[in-house]
Formats: sequence, structure tokens, C-alpha cells
Amino acid sequence: MATIEFPAEQRVDRLERQWQSKPGVLGWLTTTDHKRIGILYFWTTLVLFGIGGTEAMLMRTQLIEPNNHVLGPASYDRVFTLHGITMIFFFIIPMTTGAFGNYLVPLMIGARDMAFPRMNMLSYWVFLGSGIFLYLGLASGNGPNGAWFGFTPLTLRLFDPSRGADFYALALIFNGIASSLTSSNLIVTMFKLRAPGMSFNRLPTFCYAFLAAAFGLLFALPALSADCIYLFLDRNHGTHFFDPSKGGSNLLWQHLFWFFGHPEVYILIVPAFGIATAIIPAFTQRKIVAYPLVAIAELLVVFIGFGVWAHHMFVVGMPTISVVFFAAATAMVVIPSAIQVFSWCMSLITGMPRFRTPLLFIAGFIWMFVNGGLTGIMFVAVPFDQQVHDTYFVIAHFHYIIFGAAVFPIFGGMYYWFPKLTGKLYFERPGQICFWVIFAGTNLLFFPMYIVGLLGMPRQIYTYSSGMGWDAYNAAESAGAYLTALGIVLLFANLVVSYFKGEPAGPDPWNAPTLEWATSSPPPDFNFAVIPTVSSAYPNWDAEDRERDARKLADGVMVLEEGHEQPVSTTVDGRFAEVIEMPHSSPWPLVLGVCIALVFGALVIGHYGIAGIFGVLCLLSLFGWHWKEPQES
Amino acid sequence: MKRRRSGGGLVVLAAVLLLAGCGSQTNTLAPHAPAAKSIDSLWWWVLGGCSFGLAFVTGLLVLAWVRRRSMGPGREPGERAGWIVILTLGIGTMVVGLCALFIVGDVFTIRSTEAPAAAATAMTVRAVGHQWYWEFDYANGRAVTADEMHIPVRTEVLVQVDSADVIHSFWVPELNRKIDAIPGQQNAIGLYADKPGVYRGECLQYCGLQHAHMGFLVFADPPAQYRKWLANQERPARASSAAGRRVFMQGPCSSCHTIRGTPAHGTVGPDLTHLATRTTLAGVVLPNHPGDLREWILHNQKVKPGNRMPDIDLVGRPLKALLAYLDGLK
Amino acid sequence: MTDYAAPRTSRARTPVEVSRLAAQRLGLPAGWWGMLMLIASEGTLMGCFLATYWYLRIRAPHWPPDGIPEPRVVVPMTLAGVLLLTSVPMHLASRAVRAGRLAATRWFLLIALLVQTGYFAYEVDDFGNQLRSFQPARDAYASIYYTLLGADHGHVLIGMLLNVWLLLKLSTGLTMYRLNATVAIAWYWHFVNVLTVVVIGSLTSVHVV
Repeated sequence: MATIEFPAEQRVDRLERQWQSKPGVLGWLTTTDHKRIGILYFWTTLVLFGIGGTEAMLMRTQLIEPNNHVLGPASYDRVFTLHGITMIFFFIIPMTTGAFGNYLVPLMIGARDMAFPRMNMLSYWVFLGSGIFLYLGLASGNGPNGAWFGFTPLTLRLFDPSRGADFYALALIFNGIASSLTSSNLIVTMFKLRAPGMSFNRLPTFCYAFLAAAFGLLFALPALSADCIYLFLDRNHGTHFFDPSKGGSNLLWQHLFWFFGHPEVYILIVPAFGIATAIIPAFTQRKIVAYPLVAIAELLVVFIGFGVWAHHMFVVGMPTISVVFFAAATAMVVIPSAIQVFSWCMSLITGMPRFRTPLLFIAGFIWMFVNGGLTGIMFVAVPFDQQVHDTYFVIAHFHYIIFGAAVFPIFGGMYYWFPKLTGKLYFERPGQICFWVIFAGTNLLFFPMYIVGLLGMPRQIYTYSSGMGWDAYNAAESAGAYLTALGIVLLFANLVVSYFKGEPAGPDPWNAPTLEWATSSPPPDFNFAVIPTVSSAYPNWDAEDRERDARKLADGVMVLEEGHEQPVSTTVDGRFAEVIEMPHSSPWPLVLGVCIALVFGALVIGHYGIAGIFGVLCLLSLFGWHWKEPQES
Repeated sequence: MKRRRSGGGLVVLAAVLLLAGCGSQTNTLAPHAPAAKSIDSLWWWVLGGCSFGLAFVTGLLVLAWVRRRSMGPGREPGERAGWIVILTLGIGTMVVGLCALFIVGDVFTIRSTEAPAAAATAMTVRAVGHQWYWEFDYANGRAVTADEMHIPVRTEVLVQVDSADVIHSFWVPELNRKIDAIPGQQNAIGLYADKPGVYRGECLQYCGLQHAHMGFLVFADPPAQYRKWLANQERPARASSAAGRRVFMQGPCSSCHTIRGTPAHGTVGPDLTHLATRTTLAGVVLPNHPGDLREWILHNQKVKPGNRMPDIDLVGRPLKALLAYLDGLK
Repeated sequence: MTDYAAPRTSRARTPVEVSRLAAQRLGLPAGWWGMLMLIASEGTLMGCFLATYWYLRIRAPHWPPDGIPEPRVVVPMTLAGVLLLTSVPMHLASRAVRAGRLAATRWFLLIALLVQTGYFAYEVDDFGNQLRSFQPARDAYASIYYTLLGADHGHVLIGMLLNVWLLLKLSTGLTMYRLNATVAIAWYWHFVNVLTVVVIGSLTSVHVV
């Protein structure tokens, strides 16, 4: 509490001085600002999206006609393996949790940063390191080729004598560290750093979605890490986890993998649900229909999703009773998704929908998600699943869901928050045209896959014979791929041009309900000059609260400019509990990130002594990191 | 600008195109067995229900678009009351639909697709997946062949599915669902063909470089024809060109292939005892004609790159003799 | 009505101040939740190792397989119990630090660390001995046995390093940061101690189950 009176501008100056990042490249390397970290994640994942997309284009070009010679089997197998790994672990997860989550969650809850700013930066370096690590594997002739789900025995040393599966196993553990750190950060941030008055029932649905995804990642990733540890040990140290002749089991790999893998696919789409529930109120100018049901549904989808993993294993020969149990559990997980679909549609119908580009992408997302979701429901009938499992029907199903339900909202979100990040408005007409091109392209690309899968075309084949009845569909799919690629290029071109030529946006061009629109565009380093007080789930629509906040600036109430200060609230009620000092720029996340990367590098080439030394360096870095406490810097 | 075409109509259109997509021997919707037929009829009901669902949601989106047009400026957002009814009706319909799907699919249809008990079947065949061919064992190993299986028509056949190396998957789409071939685990599936014919099978679990070329054929023969075929397969190899036999035994061939009744006992490649009775080569990649067999022996790495057989360097008379020998393995 | 007054807890410099502000603030600190996240993640990882152990064990006709000696019960379980007992001084340290009794906190931590070090030293020696009699590359039993046990020992080692760091920090005084760290590390040890009992219990239960 201030005892000396300062005018408002002086308070803002003090805040700026406390919170501004260091200048230049050094500033970016040592930043702990969640906005800068979000931007780093954004650009890095876009590059990886481009790589994954190129891999897709290579596959579709190879498959445009039967017996094609663009890619031989060895190359094709690497390409589809890397496409899946890149898109899932290096595009969607880091783009949603790392870019959108890091940038927007603190703003939406009225905070100045994430709960653990240095750990946030560490998660970025670890993510970047894991991406470089994986592609160094490819560049060194050791590209993984066991598919993204790496089933044993195909990935064991006997069948993959290269280091491909070692890069695969270690890259996933490496990447998992980054996602676990980000998840922990998101959860603690949303639990503790909410603005006073933001009780749990006033948390934006966007945040509920990211909370669900974060919990999902936290509990699912260890299963993948355990699996990858076993794979690495079997390949390099002669253990027998997956060797049936010595008491091991190949199904052990699959159970653990899918125990991670199924929650993972919900983790992929739930943040996008959050983006949708942020965009819909802004463009319908009404509260989301059934907010409590939507919030609970977002959590339930991930929770129930932990109980259905073996529906990926209906053809391995499990006893019928197990199979039927998992089919029943899968049927249950449909309900929370359906509740959300209805809420979105009802919100659109009962509001005043303005179909600008972001809402077009959300409408497209709803349609694509329902399309893919319905074919997912078909898999509840086990005999049908056992017919189309591992055919292109499944590829169609999950691409409708992943592209439709994860990527469309990401594109819509890029347009929606473009004014907030850049301070400019994007060009509307080209945006809408891009949507239609991409919508047409993705349907042309993925719909024929349903048909060709029913006609028996298997997944993961580098070519096919003519005379199977698959030729025309494949040609259409490849055409769709090119059309989609064109639409995506145009989408980004529009954003680039808008960045340079767009009209100024102001703080809130949409009259949106969440708090990120209550501050300038782009936000200042300290996010909010006055920590907002919240009394509803739509705080930016509470004009009185926002005016009262503005008046507090001169009085110095909730400005907290005496240090690098952040308020902490109680978990459930959001009552103001304490004021803490946040860490500022630090080189230690980069140092520790490099040490971790060196550990993995040494492991993959089999030099365990060196890995041990780098491990000790990691411990020393942690020691250095915690040497000075935040209030001492 | 109209919102979008009805989602349901799109699906029906696709179904029509599907019927026109014959020529495929792996059409799950052209069933020739009770198991495959029960899945097929389940599919059409499910497709109908899901098309309705998609059309309904499409309608909601179109409605949102239309209402946007009819609203003037300054109109208040609609009342909330209606949504509770729609939500309850919608979720209720879904729950009923899901229960129906579960009961029909996982209580009834599943009975005809699950593996039959050995006692309920008339005969057993063992199918062993290899990288990249299928080995078929009859009569406790007395007859071994590859990539071409014969079964008597209208007979319940138990297929025991196993793997010699990595996980494969045994699938004859027009007869039944698939089952994985997992090393160290015994899986089984029933095959029953309604009428005589040739049914195409494939490996459906990614198993390495030539997963794309691991097809096989299932011949459903009238019982007498089947018995004749089996009796022939059980015999050791017929006497054939002695010169060619010499080339086979002294060259690399005998180290990888088995020809029963000769010193060749290799287990890397398929059994060739009655090679000349098969209609295709290399996993339904080439027809079994002399020219194609020649191409396979000399340039198989071009046809099926990465497969376990090297290109065999033979010319002139030894090559002709070998081909004559193989052609005589009837 | 929202109350706009709350303590600036990083400013406390003496144990008395720190203790007073800790009592005054509402709710649990962010650092405590962060430790809970670590426990959740590591607990799930160890849970996967345990699930693997039981999955392979249920499927095996003989467990341990022929040729591998059955694990001893009394000594390992007793030692696990001794480690579990270190939760007492850790809990007492947590309470003492919140009461501002810095010297008592240091003593309790030191006692815990000494017992934990003794436990760890014995376990390392025993691990080495067992490796001489059967190796992880022998079969699936050995593979999961050493992985599960080794992972548990690894978590004990991390806990010991945390205690060393904490003692070093507390040697120069008390801040809210160090108080939060003490409480969080105590929870880490409760997690590790219970985990150890479950792991040792599973590995030695071949006699009972």
C-alpha cells in the first residue's frame, strides 16, 4: 500500500521500468516474459508446421498415382513417421499450450506473468532442443521409421539397426519434459494467480480448456516416457521388456503407449475447444450457453479419455469382455463432447452472430469436428472398428478431428488475437476467402479417404497397385492437399500483409468479454497497470468494474509497482492472499536447457559417461538457478 | 452465400460412389461371408444415423447463418429457455443412439465376428506373418505354402494367426474383420466363404519396408477341388529339370527357401514346394508367369525394394534351367 | 467486497517476520502447488513402472523365473520402514519453520538427511550385490526389477540433494522462499517414502501373493 502519492503516469513509468525486457537478442535469450515466450513458441511451431506440412505434401505427391517413384519405401516410411511426430508433438501441443496458452492465460486471468516464469523459458528451450534433436536424427541418416506409435518389435534393435528408434524414444522423452513443465506452469498459474474476485466459477472457458489439457498432459506423458525408457533399454542394454521369449510382451508397449496416446488426442483438441468458446461470445455478443456444463464437459472429456485407451487395440486379440468394456467407455466419452457441440451451436443461434473470419473458422471447426466425431462413434461398434482399423478410414477420421477440431480453431485464433498481438486489424475479405479455400481443400483431401478405407486401402503404404479401385480417390486427395496448402499460404500471406498495412486496432475491436481485451494492443510488459477486480465470468463486459479499476491507478490501489510484483489469490474463491516478487530475466533457463540437450545428445550416441557428466552439469545449473531468490535480483 | 451443402447428402453421395467403386477385391462393403455381411449391414444403419446427425448439426449452423441475416441492428440476443429443451433432446437422442449401437454391435454382431472355438470349426489353418509374405500351414505342417490359401467353400475354417518376426495383421475384408499376428501370442479368426471365388487379403499392420506388398489370396473351392489341392500340396516336390535342381541347390536359393523332398530347408523365404500351382508371386505383386518369375529372380529389388531376397545373378543356360525347374514344381 | 490489502511476503527477513506473514497469508503458496505437480508427474511415472511390474508378473507362469533367487523380505521392508520414519523429522521441520524456529528446523532436516543417507548407502551397496547375482539383461523380471528399484533409489537421491541444498540455504537465515521450499520438500519426502514402501512391498511380495 502506497503512503506516498504518485500521479498515474509516474506509476505506469515505474511499472514499465520494473517489467521491461532487456534490449536486443540478449533480452530474448534471457526473457521470462510469458508474452515473449509465447511468441517464441509461435514462430518455432510455425516452422515445424511447415516441415510437417511438407512431409504431408511429399506423401500425397507419392500417392497421387499407383506405383509412383517420388519416394521409395525407406524414405516414405521416414516421412510418415516424422509427419505424425512433428504435427502432434512439435506443432499442435506447443502451439496450443506453448504459444496460445503462455501468451493468453495470464492476460485472461488478470495476472502479470505465469507462476514460474523461468521454468516457462526452460520449457521453451527444452522444446526447441527436442525438435532440433529429432531432426538431427533425420539429417544424420537415422530418421525414425517405426510410425508415430513406434510398435515393437519393429522398433527393436533387430529390426531397426540404425539409431532411428533411439532418436524417436529419446526425442519423445525430451519433448515430454517441455510439455510437463508447461502443464505444471499452466495449472499453478490458473490456480493461484487469478485476479482478486475471479473465483473458480468465473474462470473463462478458454482457461478451463487449457486446465483440462494441462492435467491431461501431466498424467499421460509419464506413460509414454516409461515406454520410451523401456524401448531405449531393450535396444541398447539387452533388457527384455518386449521380448515374449523372456517374459516380456509386445502388448506392454501398446498398452502404455495408448494409455498416453488416447488422452493425447483429447489434449490436442481441448485447447482448441477453448479457443472456440473464447471466439463465440465475442462474435455473438452473448454469454456462452450453459457455461457450467461447458466448463465441466471440458474437464470430463480428458478425464473419461483416460479410460478408453484399448479401443486402439481392438484387433490385437484381447478377450471379448475387455473389448466390450472399452467400447462402452468410449461411448461415454462422446457425451461431454456432444454437450459442447450443442452449446456452441445454441450460442450461435441465440446470439447475434457476425461471421467474420475467426467465427467462420469456428463454424468450420464445428462441422469438421462433428464429421470426424461421428465416424469416431462408429468405432464403438467393435466389429466395424475391426474392419476399418489401420485403413484410410481411420486416417480420415482423425484428420477430420485433428485438422478440423485443432487446426481450424488455431487458424481462427490467429485471426482473432492478431489485433491484440500486433495492434493492427487484419484484412477481412482475404481472410474469409482463405477459410473457404482451406475448407474446400481439407474436405477434398480427407473425405475420399473414408471411401478408399472402406475399399480396403491400408495405412502407411508407400504405394499401391492399380486395379484396386483406389486410383481416382487418391488423385482427388492429392489435389485436395495442394488446394489446402494454397489456402494456408494465402492465410499467412494475409496476416503478413495485414501486419504491415493493417488499420490500428485499439485495445478491443471485438467488444470481447475476457480480460486480455481490457489492456492495450499489444499489451504493455506489465499487462495491467491496475490488477483487475473481477465480479463475473465476462469481466470485460462489466464496464463499472473496469472504470473503477482505471480510477484506482492514481490512488495506487492494486498497482503493485514497488517491485516486480504479482498478487496471489486463494485457489477456489480467488481472494487476494499475498504479494510475491517474480523473477526477472535470467540466463539459467538457457544454460539448463543446453545441459539437458547435451545429456540427450550423449545418450543417443551411447556415451553414458559423458551423459552422466552433463547430468551433473544440469544439477549445478539448477543450483545456480536457485542461488538468488527472486526478491534478491 | 449459402452456408454449405447438407452434410448428410454428401455422405449419401459418397455411398453411391462406393457402390460404383467395384473392381476392388478388398471392398468391406461387398461381403461374401456371414461375418462380413453382419458388419456390412451394421455399417449402413450406422451411416444412416450418423448422416442424420451431421445433417442436423449442419442445419443448426445454417440456422445460425440465416438468423444473422434476419436480425436488424440493436436486437437483443435470444432467450435462453429454448436451449435446455434442445440440449436435453439432443443429448437424449445421442444416448439412445449410442446404446443401440453398442447393443447391436458389441452384444450381437460381435458374436459372428469373434474367433470360433476350435471344436466348432471343420478345419484349421495356420497363418504366419513374415517380413514380407504369409506362410500357410495345413494339416500340422504336412502342407506348407505361401501367399495363397485355399479353403473349402461354405465351411467354417479356423485360422490361427501368428508371426515370425514383427506384428502383422491378417485381413480378408470380404470375409471377416482383421486380427493381428503378434509374435509370442496365438490369435485366431474364423473364415467362412459363402460362394466359390478368390478373395484378396492384405497385411494391415505396418511391418516395415514392404508392408505395402504383403497381399495374399484366399481361394474358396468346392470341397472336392479343395481336397485335391490339399492332397497335392502335401506331396513332396515333383521331379523336374535336374539341371535346374542343381542350380537351385548349389546356388543361394536353398539357403533361404524350402522345397520339401529335397535338401533345401531354408526358412527365410517362402516354401516353394508347389510354386507352380500359385497364381501370383511376391505377395500378389506379380502374376506367376515365366517372364515375371524371371524378372523377380533377376531384379526383385526393383520390384519390391528392401525385401529379403537379393537380386540373383544368373544368365543363359543356368537361368533357363532354373526357370524350367521352378515351372515344374506343380 | 474485495480486500486490497495483503502481505508482501518476499520482504520478510527475520524468522519471526516470516512466520508471522506465513500465518497471515491465505491459502497455500504457488511453490507448494508446483511441488504437487512434480509429485503428480513423478508419481504417475512410478505408477507406470509399478503397473508394468504387475502386468508382467500376472502373465508369468513363474515369478521370479527359475534361476533367480527370491528377494529377501525382512531387511528391505525394515529399511523401507526406516525411510518412512524420516517423514517424522521432515514434518517436524515443516512445522518448525512455519513457527519461525530456524535452529530446530535445521536440526530436524539434518537428522532426516543422516538417516536418508544411511539408507541410500546401504541400498546402493545392496543394488551392486544383486547385480552380481543376476543382471537386467537376463529376462523381463530382471529388467523391470532393476528399473523399478533403480528409479525409486533415484528419487531418494534427488530428495537427499534437495535436503542438502535446503540446509545450505537455511544456514544463512530464513525467507518466505526458504519457508515455502521447506514445506514443499517435506511433501516431496512424504511422497518418496510412501512410494518406497509400495515399491519394496511389491518387489518382496512374491512370498505372500
